[in-house]
Amino acid sequence: MPVPARITAVRTLTELEKLYTIELPYGLTLDHDPGQFVQVSLFGVGEAPISICSSPSRSNGLFELCVRNVGDLTSKMHALNVGDTLGIRGPFGRGFPMERFRGKDVVFIAGGLGLAPLRSVIYEAIDHREKYNRLVILYGARSPQEMLFRDEVNAFNWMDDVEMFSTVDRGDEKWRGHVGFVNSLLNQVHLNPHNTVAIVCGPPVMYQFIIDDLIRLGVAEHDIWLSFERHMKCGVGKCGHCQINHIYACLDGPSLSYTEIKNLEEAL
Amino acid sequence: MSGTVNELPRVAFFDFTSCEGCQLTVLDALQTHPELLKVVNIVEFREASSARSEDYQIAFIEGSCTRPGDEERLRKIRETAVYVIALGACAHLGGINAIRNRQPLLDVRQYVYGDKAEWYDTYPARAIDQVIQVDAVIPGCPIDRDEFVRVVTVLLQGRQPKLPDYPMCIECKLHENICVYERGQVCLGPITRAGCNAICPAYGYGCEGCRGLVSAPNMESFQEVLAQHGLSQAEIDEKLSLFLTNQTLLEKELVHG
Amino acid sequence: MSNLKTIPKTALNEWVQRLRRRFRVVGPRPKNGQFVFAEIETAVEMALDYPTTCMPPKKYLFPPQETLLRYHLDGSHIQAVIETEPTVIFGIHTCDVQATRLFDQIFSQGFADQHYRARREDIYLISIECMAPCTEHAYCHDMGTSHLPEAADLHLTDVGQMYVVHVNTPKGESLLADTLAEPFTADWQPIYDRVIAKKMEAFEKRLDFEVTELKELLRDGYSSPLWQDVGDDCLVCGMCTQVCPTCVCFNMEDEADLTQTEGQRTRTWDSCQATTFALVAGGHNFREARMARQRHRFMRKGKYMHDAYGLLGCVGCGRCGSTCLVNITPIKVLNALYQEQHAEQIESDVPEMELSYEDVTARSAGVAVDLHAGACENNGRTHPH
Ligand SMILES: Cc1cc2nc3c(=O)[nH]c(=O)nc-3n(C[C@H](O)[C@H](O)[C@H](O)COP(=O)(O)OP(=O)(O)OC[C@H]3O[C@@H](n4cnc5c(N)ncnc54)[C@H](O)[C@@H]3O)c2cc1C
Ligand code: SF4
Ligand code: SF4
Ligand code: SF4
Ligand code: SF4
Ligand code: SF4
Ligand code: FES
Repeated sequence: MPVPARITAVRTLTELEKLYTIELPYGLTLDHDPGQFVQVSLFGVGEAPISICSSPSRSNGLFELCVRNVGDLTSKMHALNVGDTLGIRGPFGRGFPMERFRGKDVVFIAGGLGLAPLRSVIYEAIDHREKYNRLVILYGARSPQEMLFRDEVNAFNWMDDVEMFSTVDRGDEKWRGHVGFVNSLLNQVHLNPHNTVAIVCGPPVMYQFIIDDLIRLGVAEHDIWLSFERHMKCGVGKCGHCQINHIYACLDGPSLSYTEIKNLEEAL
Repeated sequence: MSGTVNELPRVAFFDFTSCEGCQLTVLDALQTHPELLKVVNIVEFREASSARSEDYQIAFIEGSCTRPGDEERLRKIRETAVYVIALGACAHLGGINAIRNRQPLLDVRQYVYGDKAEWYDTYPARAIDQVIQVDAVIPGCPIDRDEFVRVVTVLLQGRQPKLPDYPMCIECKLHENICVYERGQVCLGPITRAGCNAICPAYGYGCEGCRGLVSAPNMESFQEVLAQHGLSQAEIDEKLSLFLTNQTLLEKELVHG
Repeated sequence: MSNLKTIPKTALNEWVQRLRRRFRVVGPRPKNGQFVFAEIETAVEMALDYPTTCMPPKKYLFPPQETLLRYHLDGSHIQAVIETEPTVIFGIHTCDVQATRLFDQIFSQGFADQHYRARREDIYLISIECMAPCTEHAYCHDMGTSHLPEAADLHLTDVGQMYVVHVNTPKGESLLADTLAEPFTADWQPIYDRVIAKKMEAFEKRLDFEVTELKELLRDGYSSPLWQDVGDDCLVCGMCTQVCPTCVCFNMEDEADLTQTEGQRTRTWDSCQATTFALVAGGHNFREARMARQRHRFMRKGKYMHDAYGLLGCVGCGRCGSTCLVNITPIKVLNALYQEQHAEQIESDVPEMELSYEDVTARSAGVAVDLHAGACENNGRTHPH
């Protein structure tokens, strides 16, 4: 059953995306793993799965959701303001197995809205910086206007122990950075493939390219982690909508390693 | 949401070439759901009152476009209304009126108007969205009352109404009707959009497709089914032209380039 | 071990009347030349020798449409809706009983479903022994579901003047307690055995392979060209999933009332054959081809369900085959897949072992995917859901 949660802040990130800060009632905390999602209810409208975009390490009892306006529910959500109520179920799904990443070079590869789920993992890693070796963030957006969390990306740029690379598919007159798809950044970071885990999130078309490139660079299949988006209704492994062959994206995923899905025709 | 009448969304109903059966269903909905009048302000509805208005936000259009003069009226409605909704099969598909699209126009005129045929300026019946942009559709001949109420509710929420997008057979099975194919008749249920509670099969008749095609039907295989049940190609074409002329003609154009 | 009783047929109506004081009693009734489960008032309304019903009695456990929540649109007054009615399903076939076992597993495993479970508690199953396959499309015998006398709360076997009654659960006991049952004496055993032996003769094997081979058959046949043929024919009408006792996929929708004050969330049956089933915002459809949708249906029935829940997703009732207008039947499809894979060695392949459903399940219990271990850990957490 959804609990009624309150919006405590709304920040407009781009024309299409807004960031919501949400507070659960009755002193509940979400207590999530990075990479998990919640089912957001708009009463009388419906429910949609949204990744938790904030890190458990910075929760304060609140959490954040970054929502792109693409349809029925998400457009109604964009009309909500501070103080409005929405319903929350979750957290659901399997997050990323952070323990397995200990001592590794962690490379985050985000395309477009894919930065939202990864933001939760990135801050978790930054806040436990000593557990990991290199932290590398590769972020590709379609254009400079569509870049999410620009201030935070800037801040990552200034951090000594985080390597931040961004790119856009198409630049504009002001853009001084890299132009090209996000996989083109991979050549710049000189990975040590034997000690690298890659965490990938982006639109469906991006996955095959990135996986091919990572494997070509020598990254092990079980060290490539992906987050999967599917049509989801129940979020708890019953309704059947999210299935990728026998796997339930809502239960076994959304975070899955390449080893787990490489033989599944419906995955990529 | 309810307020003084003047604050309510202003709704108008317009009819073109139709039997006005859908507007009667709307009247029926006003009886069964009197709260409708607390949430909208009906400013034009020929079936119910003589009031006329030039100022409305939501326009329901019944009937198909069958003469050049209709186009002008339709464009006017489009300019005024924020939301335009095609009401019923005539408006949605061209309706029964579109049967004649399969025959040479003059034959139809002669059949309907006798030797005065040349005087009338009718042309092939067109669905409303073939003339102006339509924001939503309430399908059916006539429309389903509950679906009408649902669409109004969703519009009041400021949302885009969505129709069921699965075939009639799904609803038909729920009602445990005996499949009309088992009785040696044919039915367009497998290719028709659900939403009427499979009312025709429930009474033992095959569905005629008045709600239009479901998305991505398997027309090829379905035509084979009809053929296996003894229909000639001419009979199949006839079957598909009662309501589906415009949709299946379009489909043919798509398939054959 | 079940406890055996007998009940004379002459007492059937009296029994039904007594049950009706405590329960809604539903049973197989004729309707327009077919049979449907519907409420009954007297025993004569039931056709206990019915071949099969149009829809399975699943509709009582898992209604086609149910309200899950009611709330005010401002997010207050959120209330779970649990609707149950004490119900006896009289004369359910054993294949359909096996399907309820699968449902019990699905809705209890991991995140338990309170709506289903509450309703299930209130449902009592009285099954009946089938004496012949209900249609040419049924292959319950192959699937090990044609003879499951110990699966329902009570099980009836028609032995002439009497029904032999297997009393399997305390729930079953409670249905029989104040009735007209008589003891099952030693004299009945040979009569019962003869009836069952005769029944078994009526059921022939219809699959070319053993059910234990089904998972591998589908795994190895995943890329078979057969699926393209199936997809070419399939009307995607969804009848096959609609009539299936094991189909569980559902949709959830919220709606508001006209005055925009209250709303509700409903759950409705859905079908993997629907175009929109795997469609996401932005227009990407993860299972767009008809061939992929049909293949998913077969994989789910014969393999994925078993992977996830330890029980097969098909009980062999044959309803899907009978209803399909283009003759896509499991027997036909699965045998074709088998023939394709075993083109050469068919002659030498003599099936000999009779396996019960339990054996199949027990045997593959260890096969469950590792992934679910991870998923279960998750389930142990306390969530605000
Ligand atoms: C695990 C997961 C995490 C996600 N995280 C985010 C996020 O952080 N931010 C964000 O903006 N979006 C995210 N999405 C996508 C988001 O759920 C969809 O954009 C949203 O459901 C669209 O709903 P709508 O009503 O606005 O769109 P419509 O197109 O109007 O939706 C129509 C119907 O399709 C279903 N649907 C459509 N797309 C999806 C989808 N991708 N997943 C599930 N159901 C869908 C909805 O249930 C709805 O009933 C995520 C999706 C998944 C599966
Ligand atoms: S759709 Fe049918 S009922 Fe409605 S106006 Fe047209 S002919 Fe009449
Ligand atoms: S009667 Fe028509 S709608 Fe009903 S199942 Fe048969 S084909 Fe489908
Ligand atoms: S069954 Fe078919 S013809 Fe009859 S009302 Fe429904 S859509 Fe129209
Ligand atoms: S009943 Fe037959 S035609 Fe219809 S979806 Fe199922 S397999 Fe396809
Ligand atoms: S798949 Fe067909 S045979 Fe198997 S349980 Fe479902 S309806 Fe019965
Ligand atoms: S979302 Fe329902 S099973 Fe995954």
